[in-house]
Parts: sequence; C-alpha cells; structure tokens
Amino acid sequence: MDVSLDVPAGSVCALLGRNGAGKTTTVRILTTLLDADGGHAQVAGFDIATQADKVRGRIGVTGQTATMDELLTGHENLEIIGRFSHLGAAVSRRRADELLRQFDLVAAGDQLVKKYSGGMRRRLDLAASLIANPEVLFLDEPTTGLDPVARSEMWAAIRNLVARGTTVLLTTQYLDEADQLADTIVVVDRGLVVAEGTPEQLKASIGRPSVVVTLVDADPIALEKVRVALGADAAIRGRSVTVPASEGLVSLGEVVTLLERLAVPVHEVGLEHPSLDEVFSTVTHRPGEHVTGEVAKMPA
Amino acid sequence: MSIATLPAPNSVQLGLIDAYNATRRYLIRGKRQPDIIFGSVLFPVIFVVLFGYVFGSSISVPGGNYHSYLMSGLFAQSTLFASSQVAVAVATDMNEGVIDRFKTLPIARSSILIGRSVSTIVLGLPALGVMILCALAVGWRPENGIFNAVLGFALIELFAFALSWLGILAGLIAKSSQAADVIASIPVFLLGFVSNVFVDTSKMPVWLRDFADWNPVSAVVAAGRNLFGNTIGPPPSGVWSLQHPEITTIGLALLIIIVFIPICVRRYSRTSR
Repeated sequence: MDVSLDVPAGSVCALLGRNGAGKTTTVRILTTLLDADGGHAQVAGFDIATQADKVRGRIGVTGQTATMDELLTGHENLEIIGRFSHLGAAVSRRRADELLRQFDLVAAGDQLVKKYSGGMRRRLDLAASLIANPEVLFLDEPTTGLDPVARSEMWAAIRNLVARGTTVLLTTQYLDEADQLADTIVVVDRGLVVAEGTPEQLKASIGRPSVVVTLVDADPIALEKVRVALGADAAIRGRSVTVPASEGLVSLGEVVTLLERLAVPVHEVGLEHPSLDEVFSTVTHRPGEHVTGEVAKMPA
Repeated sequence: MSIATLPAPNSVQLGLIDAYNATRRYLIRGKRQPDIIFGSVLFPVIFVVLFGYVFGSSISVPGGNYHSYLMSGLFAQSTLFASSQVAVAVATDMNEGVIDRFKTLPIARSSILIGRSVSTIVLGLPALGVMILCALAVGWRPENGIFNAVLGFALIELFAFALSWLGILAGLIAKSSQAADVIASIPVFLLGFVSNVFVDTSKMPVWLRDFADWNPVSAVVAAGRNLFGNTIGPPPSGVWSLQHPEITTIGLALLIIIVFIPICVRRYSRTSR
C-alpha cells in the first residue's frame, strides 16, 4: 500500500475507507506498532523509524479493539497509562481523576472494567489516550460497534478535544462520522489514496447537483414523457426523473416551466446535492457495493 | 498544564521504573484472580501427598523416607509447571489490545516482560510456602541448617526466574494460548519426568540415563538435596553437572537469563497481531 498524508497541526483528518482499505495499517505504522516497508513519516516532528521513542512520548492512540485491562478499575487503568507515560504516580492519579470527570466516568472509576458497557470502555480508552496531553491523537474507528447514543457521546467527546487544538487522525468507515468531525477527508481504497479534500470539496468534485422530478405515481408513460423532455442526460429512477443541473437554480426554473407544458401529475421538484456516499462510490469505482458490504459485516 | 518538574531521570532509571510499574500491574491483576492463586497452591499439595504416597509406597530409599528424597524433586518440578503457565499467560496477553497500547507508550520494551516474570515469582511464593508446609507435615526436614535451606530455595527460585523467560518465549512464539500450552508442556514433561525427580537414574536404560543425568532439572534437584541435607539413597551418577549441581544451576540460570531476555524482548517488539 502507498498512502501520503499531511495533517496540519490542530486539524482533524479522517481516513475514510472500507474494511481492509488500509486505514488501520496506516495508523499502526504511524503509531510505531508496525514497520513500514518503505517511505518515511514524521509524527509531531519526529521520524517514526529513527525516533520512535520521541514519537511515542507525544501521541495518544485509541485502537479499534478495547485496550483497557478488564481486571483493573477504570482509575487503575488510567493511572498505569500515566505511569507508563512517565508522569509519576502522583500526577498520574490526579490526571486519572480529572479524566474520569471529563468523560463522565466518576461513578464507574472504582469499578472493574469488565463491568463497563461498550460505550464506557470506549470513553475510558479515549481518556487513557489523553492522559499525557498528547500533541497528536490517533483514533482508529472510535465508534465502530457502538449504539447511536454511545456514538454521539463519543462524537461530543472528540469535538471537545478538537476545540482544544489537539491534532487528530481519525479512521472511519462511516461517511457521516467523517463529515461531522473532520476538516479534511482522505479516502483510501485498497491501500491507495483515491480522493482528498474538505467534505465540501469532495462533494463538489464529483459533480453538480441534479434536478429531481418526482411524479405522483410510477406511470411509465408519464415518466418517459418527462425523460424525453428533459434531454439526453435525464434518467428514470423509480418514480423520479433525474437530470444534472448545469446551472443550479436556473436549471430548476427551466425544468418547472417545461413540466407545466407536459401536463403530468408532479408530486415534487427539487435540487439534489451529491452526498458523500456518492463521492465514496465514485472515487472507489465500486458503486453500490458499499451498501451491501455494510450489511454483510453487521455483527449478529 | 505542567508535567515533570523533577530532573529527567536517565534511561536506566526510567527502565527500572517501567519494570516496577509493569510488575505492580501484574501483581494487582494476580490479586484479582484468586482462583488462579488457589489452583497454584492446591497443585503442589496434591503433588506432595499423591506422589509421596503413591510412589513412596513402592519405592524404598535406603537411609531415610521417600518424602525426604522426593521433596527437592517436587520443588524443582514446580518451577517447570510455573514456566508453562507463564507461556499460556503471555500468549493470552499478546492477543489482547492492551499490549498494543503499551507498545505505543514511551516505555522500555523489556518492562512488560520483566513485569510478567518477576510477578510470576512473587505470585508463586504462596504456593511455595504451602508446599514447604506440606512437606514438613509429611516428614521432610531440611537437615543442613536454616542458612543452607534458604540458599536451596534461592537457587530453585533463580532457576524458576530463568525458566520463566523460556516460558515467555514460548508464549511469544505461539499463535494462541492453546498452542502455547502444547509448546510448553512437552519440555515440562520430558525434563520433569526423565530426571532424578522421582527415582534414582542408575536403573534407567543407558540412553535414558544419559539424558536424565545431564538434564538440568536433575542438577537443580541434586543441588536442593545437597543444600537441604537430603542426600539419602544411592550417590548421584558421576556426570559433571551432578557432581557440581550448585554451580551448574547458577551458571545455567544466568546463561538462560543473559541469552533469552534479549531474544524475548526482540520477539516482543516485533510481534504484532
């Protein structure tokens, strides 16, 4: 695989891709867990290969799998990570208290982690990554497998960090997560970067908005009539006809005028912007596959 | 916020602190698993009673009771079992996400493994204590004074510490804890039973006797028998390691420690799930 990244300090970059796209491998290399076959990378200004220890002193990592010790309490887990970050026993304990408060885990602080819910574990994991105030934070699929409530709590916690100026590299397979949290999105597929930019740039890159005409019912004769009237680029989709809108609202006005003359029962006419989902399908050249992939990997 | 106002310690000091913290972590974990401690205490009790009376009823040792002869063997053998348990524990550790997190922290690479081996020795002490009490109850006595007895146990624990690194290596190589169990069990049974632990080697077939005599476990057992003053029965065979069992035990333990700690640390650094 071959991935180039440049994440400015204080910004959030999302690595977006399917399972097996190379997101986790990228994070494992950048966090010194894996050696790269070639190339070079700097994290917080230090080379990952020759200054691994300096890098380790400046990063926080929240992995895909729970990395907290089930046989220790939340507080003990945080304290040990603090001690291993060379904060000393007293500072580690104080930071553990602060983080438990910050992540709403005070009540669970003295409970063994094996009694924690999935969302609590992830929050503790994130708290542990922050104990030494890292310059760069790596979040490898921080919300995969969480229920919607736990997920939005996790998002709130991440936004909080971002507001404090931590540089974040986030991996995710959820488009909305990247859209919600990231300043820039890097789409990876099969180990290669296939698109890169702000969420808005990516949406703009795959094209213009479309005008969508939805009829009252899926009458094939009426649909065909509308399609022919809208020109060669128009396509039928269910009970709608879609046509690229070269000039946005101007096109919308033209379509409405045209429809008045056709005398077909129209339910709705609107302008549709491309979604990040479509960007994803377009840049990875596997339209439609995304949806089935998601369904197939759902845990039972 | 400001962190670290103390003068920065050097890397050796930091390494020691890391190892201390890792050991502390394993001790806390150990305390939370009373079933494992209970098992490790129960096991030697069963061994002392079972082997003592099962074998003891058909093996007669001239000049004393079989338990006096047997106990050094059981003390030494328990170090083998401990090392196979370490193998399983390390293999389990390596499949957990927490080790990945430790690898992204600025700690000495050796610290987690040192914590594992030191805590194994510490957590094994209750079992050793119970084993000694059982031994005393069935008639075993250290006949050479308290100093030599302590020295004997110190040698056995040194050997246990060295063996724990072989267990760690097995655990690091194994892909799963089940595999680690298999890898570690073979030497445990081979070295534990083809030895002078239970019987005098002189009546074994020649090829087996050579193995048993040169078996390092036999040297540890012989060192124990010397220091505990349990030198009853026929004199040990004339191979060098059994003539100088204390030196052999110390030398071998140090050799294992010096050679295998770096190998384990390298392997640990490269192991990635």
